[in-house]
Formats: sequence, C-alpha cells, structure tokens
Amino acid sequence: MIRLAFRNLFQSKTRLVISVGGVALALLLILALDAVFMGVERRITAYIEHSGADIWVSQEDVLNLHMASSSLTDSTARKVKMVSGVDSVTPIHYVANNIVVGDERNLAYIIGIPEAAKFGGPWRIISGRSLPGEGEAIIDGNVAEKSGIRLGDKVKILGEELEVVGLSEETSSLVNSIAFISMKDFEELRGTYDTISFLLVKVEDGESPALVAARIEAQVRDVTAQTRVDFAGQERKVVKDMSTDLITIMNLIGFLIGLAVMALTIYTSTLSRRREYGMLKALGARNANLYQVVLAQALLSVTLGFFFGLAITLFISFLIPMLGTNLTLVVSPLSLIKVGSASLVIAALSAMLPIRQIAGLDPAMVFRGR
Amino acid sequence: MTSSSNGTTLQIAHVSKKYGSGSTEVTAVHDVSLSVYPGEIVLIMGPSGSGKTTLLSMLGVLLKPTEGEIHLNSTTISALAESQLPDIRLKQFGFIFQDFNLLSALTALENVAIVTELAGTKSGEARRKAASLLTELGLGERLHFLPEKLSGGEKQRVAIARALVNDPSLILADEPTANLDSKIGHEIMRLLRHIAKEQGRSVVIVSHDQRIKDIADRVLWLEDGEFKETVTMAIDPVCGMSVEREKAVSVDWQGQTYYFCAQGCRDEFLNTSK
Repeated sequence: MIRLAFRNLFQSKTRLVISVGGVALALLLILALDAVFMGVERRITAYIEHSGADIWVSQEDVLNLHMASSSLTDSTARKVKMVSGVDSVTPIHYVANNIVVGDERNLAYIIGIPEAAKFGGPWRIISGRSLPGEGEAIIDGNVAEKSGIRLGDKVKILGEELEVVGLSEETSSLVNSIAFISMKDFEELRGTYDTISFLLVKVEDGESPALVAARIEAQVRDVTAQTRVDFAGQERKVVKDMSTDLITIMNLIGFLIGLAVMALTIYTSTLSRRREYGMLKALGARNANLYQVVLAQALLSVTLGFFFGLAITLFISFLIPMLGTNLTLVVSPLSLIKVGSASLVIAALSAMLPIRQIAGLDPAMVFRGR
Repeated sequence: MTSSSNGTTLQIAHVSKKYGSGSTEVTAVHDVSLSVYPGEIVLIMGPSGSGKTTLLSMLGVLLKPTEGEIHLNSTTISALAESQLPDIRLKQFGFIFQDFNLLSALTALENVAIVTELAGTKSGEARRKAASLLTELGLGERLHFLPEKLSGGEKQRVAIARALVNDPSLILADEPTANLDSKIGHEIMRLLRHIAKEQGRSVVIVSHDQRIKDIADRVLWLEDGEFKETVTMAIDPVCGMSVEREKAVSVDWQGQTYYFCAQGCRDEFLNTSK
C-alpha cells in the first residue's frame, strides 16, 4: 500500500509541487525564524562565550550583560582576587552607546578593557591589533566596511574621536556591534574612576567554576557570581523572553499554513480517487489498508516539504552572510526536532478528514456509480 | 476451488432487498433464488432498474439482503459480520467491472499484485504471481504499462487477471464487454468461458450484451426485482452456434438430446451420424 501512496503522490506532479512547495514554504517560515533568533542568540552571547572568563562577577542581582547595568566598586576586584581558587581577575567597563562616523550612528556595546588584559578583548581579529591603547578603538569589521572605515581612520565613541587600530570579526549582530576601547579612555570619557562594570574571573587549574562562584558570593558582599555557562544562559533567556510571543505567533502561522496546504491537497487527492478507494474496498481492502495509503501520502509530502524547506533555509543561511549583512542564521538541532515534530502533526491532522471520507465509502458504489 | 455439499458454488435462497421504510419503501429485489454450479456461466439480463446491480452487490457481499440467505461454498455469507467480509471478498470472489476500475497510478503488474498482497502474499511472490497470470493472458509485454497506455481490451484482461489472482471460486462480472468493441468483446467472452470451463470457476455476469448469451450456460431475465424467465443455452454441434434449448430444434440421439439452430443443421447432423 505504501507503493500505491508513493505512486499516487507522484502521478499528479502539479498537486505534488503545490503540496510539497506549500508545506516547504510554511516550514521554511518556522525554520528560518528559528535560525534568525538562534543566530541573534549566538551573536549576543558571543562576547560572553569568548571572553575567556570562567566566572562573571556583577553587581548583586544583575544576571546578564545586555540591557542591564552593573556597577562594582574598585575594591571588589581585590576582594574577589583573594577568594580561594581564583587565579586572575580582569575588570571591564561596559555601556551601550554608538560608533559615530560622520552623520552615521551605529549602535554598539562599548567595552573598556585594561591595556594589558589577558582576556575580555576581541577574539578574532581581521586586521590590526587585538588590544586598544589610549586614544584607540577596535571595531567590528562589518561596521567598518559599511561605514567605509579603514585602519587608522577616526571614529567617535562616547563623544571622543578615537583611531581605529583593529577590526574584529563575529562582534556584530542584527542590531548592534561591540567596540573595544582602553579602560583609561572609558573612565575619562564616562567619569567612572571608582567603579567598574564586571569582573572576568579565571579560576585556578582543577578548580570548579561553580564552586569558586559560590565562594565569591559567600565571601564578597553585594555581588552576583555566575559561571560563564550560567551567565550566557541568562543572556539567552533575555533574548527568548523578548521574542517568545513573536516566535510563537510566527510558528503558529507557519504551522497553520502548512496544515491548510497539506489538508487541502490530501483531501482533494483523496476526493479525486474516491472511486479507486471504493473499488479497493469492494475487492476486499480493509479501511486500515486505505488509511495507510492516505497517511503515507501525507507523511511523504510533509517529509519532502520538510527537507525542501530545510534545504532552502540552509541555502539562505549560507547566502546571507555573503551579502555583507550582520544577520546570521543558525539552524539548531532543537529547531529541527521542533519543526520535524510539527511536520508529523501536520501529516496526521491533514489525513484526518480524508480518512473519515474513506471510512464512509460504500464499496457497492463500484457497481452503481456509472 | 471448493463447493458446498449440494455441489453448488453459490446458492441464494428467497433473497429480497428493500430500501427505505413505510410509504417510501422500495423493493429492489424480491424473493430471488438461484444456484450456481462450479464451471457454470450464468448470465443475468434485464432492463435498467430491474434490480441487477442490487442483486450483484448482494452476491458480492457488498450489500446485505433484507431477507433470505446467500451461501458461498457452504458458508452463509449473508450472515457474516462486517469485519469478516473483506477477507471473503478478497479470497472467494473475483470482480470484473464495466469500466475496468484499474488504479491509474499503478502499472498492470502492480494492479494485479496489490490484490494478492492485500490477501497476505509477500510482495515478491505477489509480483511473480501477477506477472505469470498477465503473461498467460497475453500481456507479457505490457506488465509495466500504466492503464492509460493500455487499450480497452488490455485493461479488461488486466482486470480479469486481478479477479483471478487470489484463485476465487466465483467471478462476478458487471457488463464486462460494455466498453469494448465487438472483436475485443468476443475475446473477453472467450476468456470468461475458458475461466469457467477449464478452471472450473463459477461465473455470474450481469449484462445487456446479447452476445454473451453465446457463452452462457443459463440466461436469467430479471424484471421488477424478480426472475421472470430462465433460458438454458446449448451449442449447435454442427455450426457451433449458441442456441436457446427451449426454442431450438432438437433431436434425441443415442440417449442424449442435441439442439440445433435450424432444421438444416439437424438434418446434417442426422445424415453424418448414420
């Protein structure tokens, strides 16, 4: 019966193209949106993941980096350094601001790092230096390209003209980028001489970051210490919380379009073969045999649609970065499982109505329906 | 092939079918009885609306009679539960339809194989069986053709192969020659006769086609849901024509009755037999 389903499906090429294409586009909507958000998530947590820190220390109850403000006193760094298991502490300043080139303003997170910082700086450099000195800045390569900036050019950050001495990679997302300046410049420009934003802590070899983080919270007042993994998790949660409603709505729309297309094509396909199903019943096929045909047809169409949609998504995710945009699409295994499951539900639901139709078929129609 | 203890393949006793109830009740078939023997071809004729389709549907257990019983090879099939009927239809009946009713997406081979697969035969064996039957019916070169690429006669032969593939004892044919030209119609009739006479299967045909009388052993006339007239057919031993016994010229010769289309054939028979 599976062969019959396969042949039925491929006999009408137009119907096949409509059903597979429709489902593919609907699933593409879900897959691509997931991939966009996964890309945004990955870019937003990129600095945390590549900071080199095992533990992030912030002001008490500040759980994430973006859209948050953390202020720690100077002495906090010394106190944290004294906690057992801590190898090194790197303070950083952080603020959301702009990179200004002429009249053009590019939203950016500005990181102020010590001139001799072992970590906390850009992790991939396209050209130039990887640490900024006084009067210098390292900006994202995409932003530089978009604004026509080259090494040695000046950009305005925090109201001051700084020379671009390095171009970094993977430091831009759909909405903003990261720029690195020296801690001294940051303090002068912002007037934050006695405070810092975060502490990047490296633990000693063999120490558990989670245990050391717990020790820091126990021994140093008014701070929150999280492992890098937890801190990145909190960051992702912020993105998810902000986008859940949108993703849910778009997913639902994609699901409903896929279901509508599939249900309509499977229904019309069954309707057009009503007489053939009736004849099979007359010859002795059981309803279950015929349900198999309809279900297999729906499943085959949806599977083809799924892989077609996935192929388009992968192609788009490959193409988009080549167009010089800051958008990155990442197809995650979780997204594949989600869309795969949605596809199965679409196949099952779309087969319901045709199955009811077949169940009600009178096999005697083969003698009557001339 | 099996048959019941009284030697019949199919026996229907006082079968009626009524539709609706009260003032809207319509009797499609009324108190019909019939026995069909192995190797016998029974042709049921009658005007449109006479109840032929209803009767055929009941014979094929596609429709339950309101009254009466239908026995197939000593099983009372009219009393079987709905869940048992698909198996009976698959294994005991072969159906042949006026418009062939082949699955348009499957090849000739697959159209036949699918029916025996439904009966539980493994795919490879089903395909071998189907190929052998189709080759026997002269379609060896057409195994992998879709129905749309076959002529009317070829389609009907595929349908006949499909009807035979599960080795049924009874073939039910609904207007098997209606969509065929005269030559192909004759071919199909010969094939049906072969199925009955050489393979010992019972064949019940519902048709308007007078030519089928030539191969029938009995012709029943159904009108207003009842059998009005029964004609028993015989073959003229001289010219080979099919003749109605009741109207034919006959002669008893050495303890047997012979039937002729005309006096001339009778005289020729007697002259050559002396």
